[in-house]
Amino acid sequence: MTKIAAAARKHAPIFLVAAFAVLPPAEPAQAQKSGGSITVGQELDIAGFDPLKVGVYDTSTFTAAAAIFDTLTTLNEKGEAAPKLAVSWTHSEDYKSWTFKLREGVKFHDGTPFNAQAFKENFDRQKDPANKCRCAFYITNIKEVLAPDEYTVVYNLTDPSVNLPATITIQSQNNVVHSPTAWKTKGDDYNRNPVGTGPYILKSWTAGDRMVLEKNPNYWDKGRPYLDRIILKPLPDAQSRFASLQSGEADIIWDDEADADNITRAQKDPKLTVHTYKGSGAAVYAFNTKVAPFDDVRVRQALVMALDRPKMSQAISNGLSRPATNPYGDGSWVKCKDDGALPFDVEKAKALIKDYGKPVEFKMLVTATPRGRMVGQVLQQFWKRVGANMEIEQVDQATIPSRAFPRQFQMTPWRIVDLADPDPQMYANFRSGSPLALAGYSNPELDKLLDHARVTPDLGERTEDYCAISRLINKEAIWFWTFQNTYYALSSAKLKGFPKIYNGVIDVSTTWLE
Amino acid sequence: MLNFVVRRLLGMLPVLLAASLLTFLIASLLPGDLALVILGDQATPENVAALRRDMGLDQPLWWRYLSWLGHVLQGDLGRSFRTGQTVLQAVAERIPVSLQLMLMAEFIGLLIGVPVAIACAARAGSAFDRFMTGSAFAMLSMPSFLVAILLIYLFAVELHWLPATGYVPFTEEPLANLRFFVLPALTLALAEWPGIMRVLRSDMIATLQEDYIALAKAKGLKPARILFVHALKPSSLTLVTVTGINIGRLLGGTLIVESIFALPGIGRLLVGAIYTRDLVILQGVVLLVACGFVLVNFIVDMLYAVLDPRIRHGHA
Repeated sequence: MTKIAAAARKHAPIFLVAAFAVLPPAEPAQAQKSGGSITVGQELDIAGFDPLKVGVYDTSTFTAAAAIFDTLTTLNEKGEAAPKLAVSWTHSEDYKSWTFKLREGVKFHDGTPFNAQAFKENFDRQKDPANKCRCAFYITNIKEVLAPDEYTVVYNLTDPSVNLPATITIQSQNNVVHSPTAWKTKGDDYNRNPVGTGPYILKSWTAGDRMVLEKNPNYWDKGRPYLDRIILKPLPDAQSRFASLQSGEADIIWDDEADADNITRAQKDPKLTVHTYKGSGAAVYAFNTKVAPFDDVRVRQALVMALDRPKMSQAISNGLSRPATNPYGDGSWVKCKDDGALPFDVEKAKALIKDYGKPVEFKMLVTATPRGRMVGQVLQQFWKRVGANMEIEQVDQATIPSRAFPRQFQMTPWRIVDLADPDPQMYANFRSGSPLALAGYSNPELDKLLDHARVTPDLGERTEDYCAISRLINKEAIWFWTFQNTYYALSSAKLKGFPKIYNGVIDVSTTWLE
Repeated sequence: MLNFVVRRLLGMLPVLLAASLLTFLIASLLPGDLALVILGDQATPENVAALRRDMGLDQPLWWRYLSWLGHVLQGDLGRSFRTGQTVLQAVAERIPVSLQLMLMAEFIGLLIGVPVAIACAARAGSAFDRFMTGSAFAMLSMPSFLVAILLIYLFAVELHWLPATGYVPFTEEPLANLRFFVLPALTLALAEWPGIMRVLRSDMIATLQEDYIALAKAKGLKPARILFVHALKPSSLTLVTVTGINIGRLLGGTLIVESIFALPGIGRLLVGAIYTRDLVILQGVVLLVACGFVLVNFIVDMLYAVLDPRIRHGHA
């Protein structure tokens, strides 16, 4: 995942991010072998696991969290919620209350029993205003979590959620379950000494160097995990990370489209396997429709029609980036016959700008990274061609959300992350009055569709709603999409059982060595 | 000599004070609010205001500087808001890695640079001298990230002689530790030796024209003895300076090299702190590095005095 994406994920308007961590692994025809050890090359240093300390997990932390912790639910092959720490669930008629039955006899690595009380304490700790956790933002849609008996957990929500069990599958700071005994006894040290119920136990961790995880012999899912040991290493430089894979020091590495040459090279190398996943969501951009020149729909449409996405893909990622015409992407269950995408049409764009009659000049925020700059420059060229002058304003990654939320921008990059359901992000990004509706656009028709989609259990009807939403947004051009989310991991061909990289999480807890 | 040491030590004080002020200003004047960074983007204005008050961010800059300096003088450089580690802990964990890298790089640099310089000086103007001087230029213009990647592809990917990335502490596996350091140290050393070589070469050419060398030759001493015993020491004064300055420069090099070779040193810590806006770590590490630099300069001054007595008596 790119740094832009990492930042966008951190700040993405989602309350509960979901992924499709598939268990059991996607290669059932092969026999799993036990034993052995693998090294995973990651992009970033892990800061820690205590949500009160780190706030929001990044991609590297996700990978470690997938091994150390469990979540209540996971997703099956079809992308539907499946049992993990919860074995079954039911919902109220209005989808504002969900009841989960928990798996019995599960213990945390430190021997603490896993039960409804432990789960509730995890939630309460994040929600407690006194703890001032950044993680609390992502669970604002959950009013409370109750533990009526030892193995029952009840979620009471502020808004209906038809797909809650699927949206809580990702190994995020909010969803993984920590041992209450551990954080209470370890205090400040808990951040770097995490205790979960997951398939691997943290053995040692040298800052900036390596994290060693060893097999949990008492894991509730008998027979798993297969590997005895997993070593996670931060290898920040993309070139040397790939070299480590080639020379055998790493068995699997994280990668992204910015490193297109190495992905292509790995595809041609029989000793390596390229794992890729076409996720849902996309890299997106929001116009501030409250300020000139974007208060005029002609200008917005012209800029969108001036985009030559295939050419842009070639420029930034050797053609690996997949053009997006809606916010859902190939990985989503929302498939539209007609998403209302505006065509690439330079002449029409020029005509619209001419029709507008005033000079089109504006500033666009881009992240001060090589990728951010390059994207900005490519867009600048497209728009110059149709008579619009864009000035690039480079800012720090963390500055983008703090400029976006108070609407101190004309155009800003954003991202819709890979989720099991479009509702949380679409509702937050486009419903009138939402603090995250960055375009400042309001339309009763759009609101009606968003409201209907979130309380309708029927997938066919929901698909129709979301496609209508896409048509409306595309027509009004309040946001635009450039590329769909695609995730990559490169591994030795001997590593088997690697699941899909849902939401960029490299979950090695299901893999084995051939 | 004692007088000289005390004079130099006193001279360090204003430098250290200036370094602390600059470090503080860099971190304080960077755009972005530290309270906002800590609390995240979803923080309410009330939370931010409360934290700013707690941290004293609502106080005037001079007050904040003095209070920070007060803590620093008591050995408290603060705590990372990201990992909860103190700056001193974080630095103590990482410094052995960077020191080992810099010392090995300097050592390899000298190992290449000094013999080449002597050989060139002995045959100044020869084809060998011209070739080596040209190569030195070429090496100087190679960016270290490029050198690093080339070395990795040659020695790790193609030949499988050395690891591309990674680290083990010397205390655990000394041999493996050295293997991990060869390529990163070589990367830095390849940028080091040209400077060493050029400085020593020109000093030595000058020394070789001195009368006492002519006398030594006339007495029939072997050329090797003349070069190594009579000419090397008087020619190495500038080399000591360059080596001292290099250590500071090397620290800059570790920023890139440690990231490429995944070595958990100070350079990586600093890059990580910048990337995650961990200003407390940033401030602390920069200050400690500045102190280290001042200390190295002090040692260089002392070495000067040992090498050339005229300096400690204030004649040069």
